[in-house]
Amino acid sequence: MPSTKTEFLAPTSIDEALQAISYEDAIFLGGGTSTALLYKTRLIEPSRVVWLGALRDLSGISISKNEIRIGSMVSMSKISQSNELSQLVPALTTAAGVIGNARVRAMATIGGALAHADPRQDVPPALIALDAVVATKSSGGSREVPLAEFYEGFLETVLAESELITEVKIPVVANRRSAYLRYTPTSEGDYPTVGVAASVTYDSNNKAIKDVRIVLCGVGQTPILATDSAQKVIEGNANPESLREAANLVKQAVDPHDDERGSADYKREMSEVFTLRALRECLA
Amino acid sequence: MKINFTLNGKSAEIDADPMAMALDVIRDLDLTGTKEGCGVGVCGACTIMVDGEPVSSCICVVGTLQDREVWTVEGISEKMPDLIEKFIDNEGMQCGICTPGQIMAAAAISSVDITSEEDIKKYMAGNLCRCTGYQTILNAVEDYLAIN
Amino acid sequence: MSERRIDAVAKATGIAKYSADIVLEGMAYAAATRSAYPSAVIESIDTSEAEKLEGVIGVFTAKDLPGGNLYGRRVMDVPILVADRVRWLGDRVAAVVATTREIAEKAAELVQVTYKELPAVTNADDAIAPNPVVIHEAPWDYKGAVAKPEMGPNIQALEIHGSKEKAEQALSKAAHTIEATYYTPGDHQGYIEPQACVVDYKQDGSLRIWATNKSPYRLREQIGLVFGLDPKRIEIMPVVLGGDFGGKGAPGEVPLCTALSILTKRPIKMALRYNEDLLATDGRHASKIKVKLGIDKEGHFVGGTFEALLDGGAYAGFKPVPTVNLHGIVDAAIAYRMPEFYVESKIVYTNNQPKGHMRAPGSPQAAFAFESALDELGKKSGLGPIKIREMNLLDDGEVNAYGDKWLEYRGKQVLALATNQPKEVEVPKGWLYGEGIAIYARSMPAVPKTSLRLTMQEDGKVVVEVPIPENGAGGQTVVREMIRTGLGIESDKIEVRQVSTSSLPTDAGVGGSRVSLGVTVAVANAIKAWKERPAGTNSVEVTTNEESDGPSGAYCAQLARVAVDPETGQLKVLEIISAVDVAEIVNEKAHQMQIDGGAVMGFGFAVMEDLLEDDARVWAQSMGEFKLPNMADLPKLTTVLLRGGKGVGPNNIKSVGELANCGTGAAIANAVTDATGVRIRRLPIKAEAIYSGMREGNN
Repeated sequence: MPSTKTEFLAPTSIDEALQAISYEDAIFLGGGTSTALLYKTRLIEPSRVVWLGALRDLSGISISKNEIRIGSMVSMSKISQSNELSQLVPALTTAAGVIGNARVRAMATIGGALAHADPRQDVPPALIALDAVVATKSSGGSREVPLAEFYEGFLETVLAESELITEVKIPVVANRRSAYLRYTPTSEGDYPTVGVAASVTYDSNNKAIKDVRIVLCGVGQTPILATDSAQKVIEGNANPESLREAANLVKQAVDPHDDERGSADYKREMSEVFTLRALRECLA
Repeated sequence: MKINFTLNGKSAEIDADPMAMALDVIRDLDLTGTKEGCGVGVCGACTIMVDGEPVSSCICVVGTLQDREVWTVEGISEKMPDLIEKFIDNEGMQCGICTPGQIMAAAAISSVDITSEEDIKKYMAGNLCRCTGYQTILNAVEDYLAIN
Repeated sequence: MSERRIDAVAKATGIAKYSADIVLEGMAYAAATRSAYPSAVIESIDTSEAEKLEGVIGVFTAKDLPGGNLYGRRVMDVPILVADRVRWLGDRVAAVVATTREIAEKAAELVQVTYKELPAVTNADDAIAPNPVVIHEAPWDYKGAVAKPEMGPNIQALEIHGSKEKAEQALSKAAHTIEATYYTPGDHQGYIEPQACVVDYKQDGSLRIWATNKSPYRLREQIGLVFGLDPKRIEIMPVVLGGDFGGKGAPGEVPLCTALSILTKRPIKMALRYNEDLLATDGRHASKIKVKLGIDKEGHFVGGTFEALLDGGAYAGFKPVPTVNLHGIVDAAIAYRMPEFYVESKIVYTNNQPKGHMRAPGSPQAAFAFESALDELGKKSGLGPIKIREMNLLDDGEVNAYGDKWLEYRGKQVLALATNQPKEVEVPKGWLYGEGIAIYARSMPAVPKTSLRLTMQEDGKVVVEVPIPENGAGGQTVVREMIRTGLGIESDKIEVRQVSTSSLPTDAGVGGSRVSLGVTVAVANAIKAWKERPAGTNSVEVTTNEESDGPSGAYCAQLARVAVDPETGQLKVLEIISAVDVAEIVNEKAHQMQIDGGAVMGFGFAVMEDLLEDDARVWAQSMGEFKLPNMADLPKLTTVLLRGGKGVGPNNIKSVGELANCGTGAAIANAVTDATGVRIRRLPIKAEAIYSGMREGNN
């Protein structure tokens, strides 16, 4: 049996990258925190790896009046330490700042994190709560997918095999507050038993609530968008009773399973507790 | 494949499988101060510094180091002797297997904002030590930050 | 003594050499194919696909072995390569030698084995249920076995202390009793350096070994025994150990690599990936301990029974002591005045990972059970946790439950110290606060056998050759400090050199809290011999052969301060106070790190560490799942030293290495009860268990 060799390419333009990926079972490599691990343990043996780190186009953060654009190769560390982002989208910077450890935060990229689609990840719920949209390119053209519609199942997304995430776009919404809370009862360095991102948007007078989003991780096959709960908060204009009802309703939206981070029942209960806390933090 | 990068302040060209892990390639260069621990990016024993940031060399594909600035404990010992000194003075070690990684993490600490002891703990939490109970390591990092 | 530790510079700059750093000319790499089933018969092994892989030098199975196939630290029941029946998932069924580690690992996956699966024993209870699956047909036939046919099937070891009848009789007259069962999980030593070795067999019959092994002389003996080699032809080379905690005592992959080096005529290196280390080495025994304790009206113990069932896994060969047992279990009541005490420590074979020694073998399990039960009894009787301990802690001159009279007993003093510290921690708003106490006492070990040589070089430098591996505890630094003060020579004129097994006659190995004791005795002897040396000699060699002073021991009282979130059950350990009974301290910093590191290990055992063994599998398959405490997880660590004790040996010391990691589990569990009313009888303590307990009103 011949030893298989994996080809390594480092394209410097998106076109080059798209050309490189259209080859047998080629895969993209971002920060590598998941992919390199799968590769070294021989769980994946691709014929070609297309590294995206040499693509300057994917490594910037730009903030305009209406929109935040984050290149898919921007690291979690860079996101978590951006003062501008923490003013505009605190749920995102909080989530990016708590994952893994300092090295994972330095290496892992936002695009890689989204494509990996592990439902325990902290960043996707924050982005969904912020109405983020994923921009992709492939040889067939480009498209934009709301992150809320991006996940199809455990480790599964709508991405086609040779489709590249180029950036994540987050609308800058006036009078929006957001927060992310995670519950890691065993060790700080663990995946969350449950994580909850919430955003609350007020009208132009900063009085009536226009929009609410509540998104959970760790309690289903994908991030869970709790729309009924959000509706409750809007209807009650975030009065204490509406928050409690919203948190309680979350238990029907989540679909957790038993593991060492808690039984399904416990995760359901904790989803309620942390939804309420995330909403309160948003409103504080 | 030929890979060019700066290693411990000197330009280096190596001929390696670009998909090999940086940890193995570096150790094959006789720089065995970088240690293999968990092998999955959790324990921090293999920490190196790439462009000023801490990186788990055990899950870092070496091809990605092209044109980048890489430091290992051997180079940092020369570049940042005061950091090494603080670990020695505080006895921030026992068995020593995690020590190069602790030192490399500390060497890259300026890549994040540190404003409190809690920040240091959160940052250094990625480097496990089973011997010391962490107090002497924390002291070493704090002493180093106090003079820098 | 505040001079820097001897190995600090080498370790901080990365030049210290560990086993995995050793590279020899012509070296090849080995990897093992391990069993796919916890219990099965091997029907056939096809190595052809593995052999075809480019870079593979050879693929070997049991039939190829050049020497014996069974090894073990005491009981020789562990196969190098399994020929017929696999008994756990870590069993090696084939081994590959290749030009690189990666090729060897890949080829090991290509070995095709067909198995006929057998039913497996997945927990200790099933091992001793009526008509169990028999894991070893005749375990008593293994060399070194203590099992006997009359003990029944699946017994690795059974140690009994006291009389059950007398204990139960005493308990029947008790004013208050408690009966409860406590559980602890399989754990891993958590050293950061995975096990590794390099073995170089030469055609002249000599063998050199570099290995993550803390008992070089024992390793030499074991390898000699398995391969029929003269131990004098086997040289265990000095390397630095990247952590031990009891896990680096077994031969590891050295027997396999010795066979492979003989077969391939090359130096062989094998380094486990950490994932494999978690699966295939020997951690701490999972335990189920049934405790019954009784006190009279005043609160004095009248008796107790302590029945421990320990999951020894597939082989007994990872336990080094002649009893093949864990003395920490038997010693459960050593701190107290206990008239009638019955202990049964039963270790059984299962199809789980075999277990060995981990920091204070048996004690963390025993202390969790005993000190939790004692707290429960304190609550039930109304005496409370402090009073019930005060009533029963031994006083000087008394004899303990094992018939020994220690030089002194300082349990009451450390208890007072631990409970009288100011509370400076902040409790999160709205959280419940609680405190819990636990006592642990440990007898001092006998003076271990060790040797060393002191040589004055022509340049005036003193070279001290020692056989002790440096596992991090700082034994070599102690040697230098004693020579410095004993001979009045400056540190920079002293070189402490760890040498191979061919250079000095003996050493007992690191462990059992005995390094400092052995070292201090040996160095004191060497200093004496040096001062009395005949004129003209520039070198002396000494071997220890002393009786211990004592018997003696040391106490540690730990107080945990905890907070619990009433809405979630989340537990925050705010502080662990360790009040430690000490005599003289040879090296203050190293001593303190033994206490801090111990308390953190005890904390980890209490709240997070768990191999997640279920269905004969280790589900904690990487350090991502097997959690060790990190810097951000830590509680505040406070140490209070009770100085001035009566120690042993020339330096008047008490051992400390295995004191602070044992009571922590019970201290934290007791604090949780104090905060919430919920009694947790299973480690690690999960937020969910506290939450459920609070909801169900469990107390």
